[in-house]
Amino acid sequence: MSFGPRRFFQRFQINTISKLNFSNVSGGPTTPSELPKRKNLITGKGGPITWKTAGITGILGAGMVTYLLYLKEEQEEKQRKERKRQLGKANIGGPFELVNGSNNIVKSEQFLGQWMLIYFGFSHCPDICPDELEKMALVIEKLEKEEANTGIQGIFITVDPDRDTPQIVDKYIKEFSSKFIGLSGTSDQIQQVCKKYRVYYSPGKKDVDNDYIVDHTIIMYLVNPEGEFIDYFGQNKTASEIVDHILLHMFKFKQEKESLLKNSLGKLNFLSEKKIATS
Amino acid sequence: MSGKEEFLSKSERTTCWSSRDYYWECLRSNNEEAAKCTDLRKIYESSCPAQWVKHFDRKFNYLKFKEKMETEGYEPLNNI
Repeated sequence: MSFGPRRFFQRFQINTISKLNFSNVSGGPTTPSELPKRKNLITGKGGPITWKTAGITGILGAGMVTYLLYLKEEQEEKQRKERKRQLGKANIGGPFELVNGSNNIVKSEQFLGQWMLIYFGFSHCPDICPDELEKMALVIEKLEKEEANTGIQGIFITVDPDRDTPQIVDKYIKEFSSKFIGLSGTSDQIQQVCKKYRVYYSPGKKDVDNDYIVDHTIIMYLVNPEGEFIDYFGQNKTASEIVDHILLHMFKFKQEKESLLKNSLGKLNFLSEKKIATS
Repeated sequence: MSGKEEFLSKSERTTCWSSRDYYWECLRSNNEEAAKCTDLRKIYESSCPAQWVKHFDRKFNYLKFKEKMETEGYEPLNNI
């Protein structure tokens, strides 16, 4: 982005000029009527070298001050952004610990560095879960064809840990996509992850066959490579709408990271240039 | 179909759903006279878990209600 440096340059000029004005005034604030007088003073005193050095010192000093102000302002802006981000961030999601089909513990930290699309459901689900999981498989498939895709993992978490053992979940989810990861766990583990993601689930009455349906929240959750909840997609969103949203979030995330890197690089460059100029 | 320990496979699900859709189609084209669709109902019940049948029956009524709302609008409560 060229906005940063340009704005800085403008500031630099303004500050330098004002600094020069002040440093050359022999008393009292600068007023338009005093300007010609000061000019006369400069030319009148026949020591151009002293004025020159004074001028250079002034410029350098002003530059230094401007740079410090610039740093301070940038620091403040960063803090402002951070505050805003934290205020605007929903308190959804967070770390979890569950069990996969090979009976291994899976921690959410393992997925840091890639995006996650999480859906909660159960294997005995009559129609909604299969529909949503088909949709999720389609979303991932479509994303894989996109160049802007930066890597996403589809995850299914059961809300029916009594029936859905890790092995059953694994078998169930692989029918939708071999790339999906199905997770189960103890009732406590499931309760914890559902609480974090604000997922409501409630098993219905058991019939004569001991069969039952679990009523639950139908939402897909998008988590970024830093493990933060970013967005959710309800039943009303189509696969291509979800793909568009995810690509936009990936783009924004990448841009944010890049501009952060650019900013620090730019600062380094500026510092080294400054050193060369003064030496 | 009686409830079983494991979930329905993809093909079993598809079979269940299509038998349900055939039954629903029969109901709709026969003014919802269930007596005219008993054969299809039997197939439907044999290809879906009992819980699912219960769930789909409820859904059928819900969809009917929803459609009525959308096409005819709702009647204010005080008129009833």
